[in-house]
Amino acid sequence: MSIVGVLAAAVLMASGCGSDDDKDTATSSSASASSSAAGVAGVVNAANAFLDTLSDDQKKIAQLEFIEENAVAWSNLPCGSTCRPGIEFGKLSDAQLTAAKAVLKAAMGTATGTGFDQAEKIMLADGVLSEQQGSGQAMPSGGTPPSGGAMPSGGAMPSGGAMPSGGGMPGASASSTNGQSTSGYGAGVYFLGFLGAPSATGSWEISFGGHHLAVHLTYQAGKVVGTTPFFIGVEPKTWTASGTTYAPLATMHDGMAAMLKGLTSDELAEAKLAKTYSDVLLGPGQDGQFPSTKEGLAVSGLTDAQKQLVLTAIKPWVQVAADADSATWLTEYEADLDKTYVAWSGGSQLTEHADYVRVDGPGVWVEFVCQNGVVYQNQIHYHTVYRDHTRDYGGEFSF
Amino acid sequence: MRRVVLLVLAAVAASLAWASPVAAHPMPHSVVELETGGDSVGARLQLPAQDLSLASGITPGSGAGWKPAVRAYLAAHLRPTTDGRPWRVEITKVRLTDAEQTSTGRYREVVVNAVLTPPTGVDPQRFTFAHDAIVHRVVTHTVLVSGGGRQLGTIRTDTRSMTVAPLRVDLDEDGTWPGFAAMVRLGGAHIAEGADHLLFLLSLLLSAPLLAAGGRWRGALPARRALRRIGGITLAFTAGHSIALAVSAVSRVELPAQPVEAFIALSIVISAVHAIRPLFPGREALVAGVFGLGHGMAFAFTLAEMRLSTGQLVIGLLGFNLGIELVQLGLVAVALPLLLAVARSRIRAPLRVGGAAVTAVAAAGWLADRLGRDNPVARFADSVGSHPTAVVTILAAAAVATGVATALRTRGRAPGPRAGASRSGRAVVGWSRGGAAGGGVRDVDAQGLAGSGVTER
Repeated sequence: MSIVGVLAAAVLMASGCGSDDDKDTATSSSASASSSAAGVAGVVNAANAFLDTLSDDQKKIAQLEFIEENAVAWSNLPCGSTCRPGIEFGKLSDAQLTAAKAVLKAAMGTATGTGFDQAEKIMLADGVLSEQQGSGQAMPSGGTPPSGGAMPSGGAMPSGGAMPSGGGMPGASASSTNGQSTSGYGAGVYFLGFLGAPSATGSWEISFGGHHLAVHLTYQAGKVVGTTPFFIGVEPKTWTASGTTYAPLATMHDGMAAMLKGLTSDELAEAKLAKTYSDVLLGPGQDGQFPSTKEGLAVSGLTDAQKQLVLTAIKPWVQVAADADSATWLTEYEADLDKTYVAWSGGSQLTEHADYVRVDGPGVWVEFVCQNGVVYQNQIHYHTVYRDHTRDYGGEFSF
Repeated sequence: MRRVVLLVLAAVAASLAWASPVAAHPMPHSVVELETGGDSVGARLQLPAQDLSLASGITPGSGAGWKPAVRAYLAAHLRPTTDGRPWRVEITKVRLTDAEQTSTGRYREVVVNAVLTPPTGVDPQRFTFAHDAIVHRVVTHTVLVSGGGRQLGTIRTDTRSMTVAPLRVDLDEDGTWPGFAAMVRLGGAHIAEGADHLLFLLSLLLSAPLLAAGGRWRGALPARRALRRIGGITLAFTAGHSIALAVSAVSRVELPAQPVEAFIALSIVISAVHAIRPLFPGREALVAGVFGLGHGMAFAFTLAEMRLSTGQLVIGLLGFNLGIELVQLGLVAVALPLLLAVARSRIRAPLRVGGAAVTAVAAAGWLADRLGRDNPVARFADSVGSHPTAVVTILAAAAVATGVATALRTRGRAPGPRAGASRSGRAVVGWSRGGAAGGGVRDVDAQGLAGSGVTER
């Protein structure tokens, strides 16, 4: 609305004439994150090095309290800072951005195709969407409220009121994560925040995400205690830029498809869900809402080769954490395999809208779904989520 | 000063953030609107075609048989009951349209009208709404149920139990007749969220504290005269829209929305241009009154859609209008110091002209849009959205900023007893001198400052 624009313009005019004597000093003092330091200590060092590059005002945006309200305020949607905490990458200086990426590399691992490498490609994909839309400014096709004075009045308020699948920002935390404004697509519309102060002794969490991406890594007393919720999706699912072809979720898709392909037709029939899934079940706002009964096919009855396919399928999600941590996590999930279930719906090739697959164990929960595109409406795109039954957000909160 | 500016910028940024659309489901959801009509309940269902297809196997729009198939499907899934006794469900209309929700992209949806009639003697306001169309099958689908302008609830799969519970509906409790207090709130929300009404008034008020001479805006009026003008304009706008609202609501005349909305956009363009160069100096109140009539007709649409009984309408009208006036009054009260301060500030010309120009462009975009020409300006103006908190926060912050700037400047100029203490003041004076304003304007400002006494300490 243009009152906002009018006043913002006016204020900018006023500030343009201002003196520069107390200009923000956001220069890089120690951007050289000590990535040599191993494990959580390395993450803590990198996090503090990043925070040191920020001005006081930026720190207020990047550093929040580790409370449930801030932790659950995430979304897979292109809703900018309205639905997630943290400081926006697109608004950081080069030195700050380098320091921010050093944090994520230390926390999410250095493997190619998973962890931070994969996350960076999701950000690139959003740049592709932004270009495809012609403008990174406007909301992607949706989100146009009725013009001017027309209240929804007698009718329903589809997008405002109820927030069916959550992902909304609780009112109070909106004020604690203010300061950034962008919504829509863009490679820079990704947000990094710390809940709690990064330390090798206390409890704190890295919250990183944007459209199709939500990473939560929780630390306690120098240990990784939570690698979930981890939402990752992509549209378009593959693209080519400067001669390089990108398909950042191909490994995830192929692993799940191979897992289903490794089942006999009887096993497939048993694994098939009666109902239909056109999105992941436990997306944003669905914390702790795990189905009380596991559905599908018990992994316990499978051959070792088939079990290995299950483990390989979930591995790229578990690799959201740094290399050593994800290996530990994976070992635990392997030990749980006999209490784990595989289920699918739609088509087992995972190529059409509402083709869906899930791995549900005592700890692990991974969902993968194909969904019709929003920008590229003639092709599907992927939504996936990795949760842990007991250790989402490091088990800090009970839902 | 720098700090104040940063604070204001932060407030602006925050407000813009709040104004963005709230997160919703990336897959479109169903909507059911319920409305009491005497002994029965009218229902309007919006069913996204794709999920409907997944759930029912019906392909909407293909062949002749899809409509009867939808009717048959809904007969099994649209089931209002009272104490286990089923209601009669009559589907009156089935059609396929285009739709769009936040973050979904465009999609096709099936719109169904139905009349739900309870068994004889059963209260039509309260029932169990067992509606599981689509959700019985598509686990990730959601149905939003509303009635009487409010959200009644959501029907979706409880993922823990993987079941879909029916929704208990009570249309009577704060239902179609939301009560006086709710009407006041509705009126307040209506004007606060309707960017165009506020923009019109603010644009008119922008030039109110100024003196027109020789076809241009010149010096500031004395505060008392400026106040009288602002009061007059506000009162005239109130009178205009109140009369039009009352007449159109009570007479239940069916006004076409498009010309009224276009008229409103035009009114903003004219008032914004007037803020740049005086078009009708001294007649602002008259103009506010005349254009106010158009704005009042737009207010009436909201009431008309509620289909209130005549008695409810009269009381509702009072409450609705009261809500409008309260918010409008609050806004003017917040804007008042800003308007006065800006009229006396060095940056008033760029502020006024810049603000008015942006407003004029946005309103011209709306005008074109409402005349059927979809355009990027209108889409942008719409997408930026509106939020009452944003308006109030920004106005208040800007008022404080301008006030502080003016006060600092005054202190810097006056040879005060603690000359050494006003370091910040001096810095600001230095900024002012190096700033944009030319010499001629400076004298007027000085007069304005001396005359108003508002910012002197």
